[in-house]
Order: sequence, then C-alpha cells, then structure tokens
Amino acid sequence: MTAQTETKPRKPGLGVLKSLLLLLPILLLSFLFLAGGPPGEDPLPFIAGIVTWLALNILFFLMLYTGKTYRYRRVLFVALALTLIITFAASILGTRGSLSLTDADVLQGKTPFCFLVIPTIIIPALFTRTIIFPGSLLTGFAPIASMLVLWAGATLLVGRGWCSWLCFYGGLDEGFSRVLKKPVIKSIDRRWTYLPWAVLLGVVLLSAVTLSPAYCEWLCPFKAVTESAAITSTLILIQTIIFVTLFVGLVVVLPMLTRRRTQCALFCPLGPLQSLANKINVFDVRIDPEKCSRCKLCIRSCPTLSLDEASLESGRTLMSCTKCGQCVDACPRKAISFHIKGTKVGIGAGAARVLFLYPTFIFFAAFGGSIISSAILTVLKLVTTGSMY
Amino acid sequence: MQGFLLGLANGSSCLAFCAPALIPFFMHEGQDVRQNLVTLFKFLGGRMGGYLLIGLLAWGAGSLLSGAAGYQRLLIGIAYVGLAALLLVAVLRKKAPAGACAFEGARARLSRWPALLPVGMGLLAGLKICPPLLLAFTGAASAGSLAGSMVFFLAFFLGTSIYFIPIPFLGVFRRASALQIVGQFAAVIVALYYLFAGAILLIAG
Amino acid sequence: MQKLKAILGYTWAALLIPLAVATLFGMGSWMGLLVSGTGLTVSPWFTGDVVARTVEHAGYETRIHRPVFQALIGERREGFVQVDWGPLEALPAQVDEEVDFDGDGQADFRVVLDTASGQATLTPLTETVLNLAGTYRLDDAWAMRATLKNPRR
Repeated sequence: MTAQTETKPRKPGLGVLKSLLLLLPILLLSFLFLAGGPPGEDPLPFIAGIVTWLALNILFFLMLYTGKTYRYRRVLFVALALTLIITFAASILGTRGSLSLTDADVLQGKTPFCFLVIPTIIIPALFTRTIIFPGSLLTGFAPIASMLVLWAGATLLVGRGWCSWLCFYGGLDEGFSRVLKKPVIKSIDRRWTYLPWAVLLGVVLLSAVTLSPAYCEWLCPFKAVTESAAITSTLILIQTIIFVTLFVGLVVVLPMLTRRRTQCALFCPLGPLQSLANKINVFDVRIDPEKCSRCKLCIRSCPTLSLDEASLESGRTLMSCTKCGQCVDACPRKAISFHIKGTKVGIGAGAARVLFLYPTFIFFAAFGGSIISSAILTVLKLVTTGSMY
Repeated sequence: MQGFLLGLANGSSCLAFCAPALIPFFMHEGQDVRQNLVTLFKFLGGRMGGYLLIGLLAWGAGSLLSGAAGYQRLLIGIAYVGLAALLLVAVLRKKAPAGACAFEGARARLSRWPALLPVGMGLLAGLKICPPLLLAFTGAASAGSLAGSMVFFLAFFLGTSIYFIPIPFLGVFRRASALQIVGQFAAVIVALYYLFAGAILLIAG
Repeated sequence: MQKLKAILGYTWAALLIPLAVATLFGMGSWMGLLVSGTGLTVSPWFTGDVVARTVEHAGYETRIHRPVFQALIGERREGFVQVDWGPLEALPAQVDEEVDFDGDGQADFRVVLDTASGQATLTPLTETVLNLAGTYRLDDAWAMRATLKNPRR
C-alpha cells in the first residue's frame, strides 16, 4: 500500500449532525435550569442566564464535534472557580454585610456549607447525629442539606471526576498551572501524592475529637479568597497566615512552576474520599497496552500525577485520576480512552465518553451554570447600576 | 475516646517505625493467613501488656504531679513541645534511629521458646519508647485516676492496632510502603498539632 | 459472561443520566428527606442547643438554652449554657439578671450586660458555673455563653 492510498485515520469527534442531535437534550435541560422563566421587568437575569446557556452549549458541542475533552472542560472549570469567588462574595455581602466571619454569624448559622468539610463531618454525624458546621440545614446561601445532596448525587455520577468537573475550587490551581508554557520544576517526588491521605486522616480525627471542622479552621487554602474570621486575636492571625500561605504556595506558585494541580493532587483531603467513592463509579480511564508506544506523554501531561510506568503496564490509571481527559486528548496513538467498567478496553470508547459527558454536563449546567450565571448577573448589575444587588 | 483517636492518629507512624522489621518477621515466620493471624494476635497481646504497663507508669507520673497542680499545665506543655519536636526529627531523618525496633535481640533471646516469640516481640513493641507513645503517656498522665490511665492506654492500643490487622494478609505487603509514607506524613501533622497545643499551654499558663 | 458485564456496564452508565436529572429537579424533596430521614441537626456547639425555658420581662424575654456538653461519645468535662435577651429594641440599657439554667429553683449565676456595648460581667453562684465565655450581638438579640463544669463527670 502506498502512502497515497493509506486510509486516513478517523477523526476523533462526531460529525456535525450527530453532535447537534446529542446536543439537543442538553440545550433543553440547561435552558430549564438557567433561563429562569421569561424575562421580566429586569432583563439582566435573563441575559445572564442566556449568555451562560450559550457558552455552556457551545463548549459541549465542541467537545462532541472535535472529540477533545480537556481544553473545553478546562475553560468551564476555570470559569466556575473564578465566578464562584464573585458569586460567593456577592451573596455573603448581601446577607451578612461583610466577608469576615464573626462569632455571631457562627451562632446564627450564617456560614455557607462547603464540600471540603464533608470528610470531617462524617464520623461526628454517625456518632452524634449532628453536623459539626455552623451553617443552616435548609435555608440561606448554600444550606447544608442542599450541598450534601448535590455532593452525593455528583459522587454517584462521576466519582473522583468531581475534582475536574464539579469542584468549584479546582479551577483555580488548574488555571494557574496553565500560565507558563513550560514547567520550571520538572519532576515532583511521587511520595507527595500520599500527603492528601495523611491530611484526610489528620483532619478527620481532629474533627472527631474537637467536634469542630478542623480543615476549615486550620488548613483550607481557599479561606484566602472566600471568607474567614475577622483578625481579632493572635490565634486568628496565625490561622489567616496559614490560609494565605497555603493558597499562594499550593494554588498559585507551585501550579505555575510545575504545571500540575498541586493543591488538588498533593493536599486536598476531599480527593482521597472521592477516590474511595470512585470504586463504585462505572466510569474510569483505561490504557490499551497494545496500542501504547510507551512515549510517556500521558505521564508528563497528567495534571494530578495519576499516571506512572506501572499504569502503562497495567492499563489502569492510579486511583487519583480525575477523568479530566488530558491524557485521552494528549495520547498520539489514541491508546487512552474513557471506559465503562465491565466492557472491553478500546471498544466503544466513543460511546463511553459520551455516556460519561452527558450526566456530568447536565450536572455542571445546573450547578456550575447557576454559579456562572449568578456572577455574570452581579457584574452586569455592578456595571449598569453601580450596585451588585 | 481521646486515647483511641490518639492511637488512630499515631498508629500509622507506629507502623512506619516498626514495619521495616515487623513485616519481614511475618513474611519469614508466617505461612498461611490463619497462622499469620494467630501470630498477629500473640504479638498484639504482648503489645497490650506493654501498653498497660506504660499506663500504670503514666498514672504514677500523673499522681506525682497532681500535688503540683499549678505546674501541671506547664509540664504538659513542655512535654508536648519536646515530644512533638522529637517526633518531627525522628520522622524526618532518612533512616530509622538505631535500635528503634530491637526485634533482633528479642528473637535471639526467645529462640528457645518459639511460641513466646511473637508475644515477646509484642511486649517489646509496646514498651518501645517512641514519640507517639510518649505523647500518649503525657495524655494518660493527666487522666487523673489509675482506671482512667489504663483505659486511656487500652484505647490507644486499640487505635494503633487497627493498622497492624492487615499485615497477615499477603496482598497488603504491596501497600506497605504506601502506608509507611502516609504514616510519616500523618506523624508530621500530629507533631505539628502537639507543638501548637504545647505552645498554647505554655503561653496561656 | 463478558457480554453480560458489558450490558450491565452500559445500563448502569445510561441510568446515570436520569439520576442526574432526578437529583437536580428533586433537590427540595431530597433535602427534606435527608433532614427528616436522618434526624440530623447542626451541632449544639454552634447553635447553643434548643431553648429550654423562657423568662418574660417587660417588653423583652430571656431565653435560656439547654446546657451543652456534647462529645463524640458521652459528654465532655466542660461545656456551656447560652442565654439570649431580645428583641434588641426592647432591651433596657443594662440587663441585670440572676439565671437558673437547670430549673432547680436556685440561681446559678448573675449576669450584668450593657446592651449598648455588649460588655458583661458574670458572677458564678454555684460550683458548676466557671466563667463568661463571651457575648455576641445577634440579629435580634444579645447572646451570652457561660462555661460550665459537667456535674455528671
């Protein structure tokens, strides 16, 4: 067979028609979630909803049409993290008047619930039937019950994929990890990937003993960009210094220097919990050892250090894999694919990918879409009226 | 409960300290899973004996200090800071300190009574003065009563033992190095917590 | 067998789509079910626990909460009791009150609260009351927490 008569490799994506057909249900569902009814007197909420709806669906269409996952997911993920900061600030300033958390706010349950608390509340909830978090169960911004339901549903849908599709903080270190074109620190000692397990163990035990959320009180880097206690004592000053140091180090500087998601891969205690939950998730990412040429591009590009030499032999990613799609898109031999457990590796990879993207995107459209839309609305109001409300 | 949770927090570092000698012992001595389990229970029995002895000593130390109520917080604060620093140094060293697990000596002495070997090794492990144990000692010394101190160490024993249970099962040997690394990290986190708790006790008085 | 596993896998994957929709559209129901089904509440260490008794005054009331000694298992050696005074606009410039938090007919502590500044002094009248933990201006009340020794431990 000559070079001219060689068959061209199939494009990874679906055709225009197929992509549009698959897009239709997402168009409809996301419209129901985001449009919020016909435009009333104030057109801004409708505009914010429609802009978000359009952006989400264009990106989903591109995912289907091009067959590429990572670059479009990254846009959404980083947008989610940035808009969360805006939405959060606007909501807190509206309800409390200040981003600083006071003791009175704690007593009145005015703290919005965050997913990162979840590992620490499990043991106390089992033993005492109480949630060791100063929030509201059913009312207010991010009530405890709603966040728990969202997290449980999302975990059933995507397992550890939470960390690359739905976590509203992960986009921050992912965004910073893309700032430089090449890494300055080229390799990370793999032993650091065990630190999240130790952090999980430490905060779970400390929270169980003290009946207070140890991670929030001492170790959460994202307190630097959301809310934290007003600095009225030396103890709170020390805690604030820890938060800011962890944020600057793990979320900004190290991701820039390593081009890896260092906060997510090397510190966050929710990751190991999601990894355990991933055992009952039907989706994973697999490598076909017969197609793999051992170029190790996937190992070098994985943002969460979830691939190593042993992975290439076994055909499985490490349990920290967040299903971000980077390795799937990066592999020049198309040896890596999204996979449904129970099926043969490499067979029906396209269908597996679409079946993974569908519920994930539905969830993102409702959950992430509402955060993005809310932030756009806040900015529109600020620009047009000078006030966020 | 505090003793149990302290054991859970420190058990991974206990395993980190002892695993290099312990796992080869099980791999060498044990044959099938059932025999390994019997050996493990003998080992844990010896360890429990060692811990209860330490609990008795902790109560004695606490009783001596109870007369000096004003200095108790100060001494506990100093103990926490010193032991936390020791734990940090011990974990961050490249190699385990010499004699950290004196199992070879025990094996030589008990070779005439093979059935007692795991019990003897367990007793030695229980009496091995390592930073996690010393932190527990400090906690138990402030328990106030003999029963309180013994219960504290019994709970500490139960908490640490959870990490030893998987050892007889061969499959876990592959994960042993991962557990060791997690144990080392967890020990650093625990040490930082005690460093801070001790500093607070010293500053607050 | 391989075919069966594949069918199960695809079915499970496909079922996640209606699960996603059901989770999102049924949020209100799921939330209510979670709370009512589990009986979960927010920890009393934050909420101050439920109001055990109320003392009426001229225009305002004193709400005495249940003492909190919650531990993971059993109770702690120390805890607190929260007392609120409200509504804010009806409070006098100074609240001076002896509080019986356990309902045994004997006052347990005396508190003097300046409702403008929140400054307060607490005088223990029984052995179980240790000291004043803090005062807090809520949306519609002043709250105070007194540290207690657990009489049962």
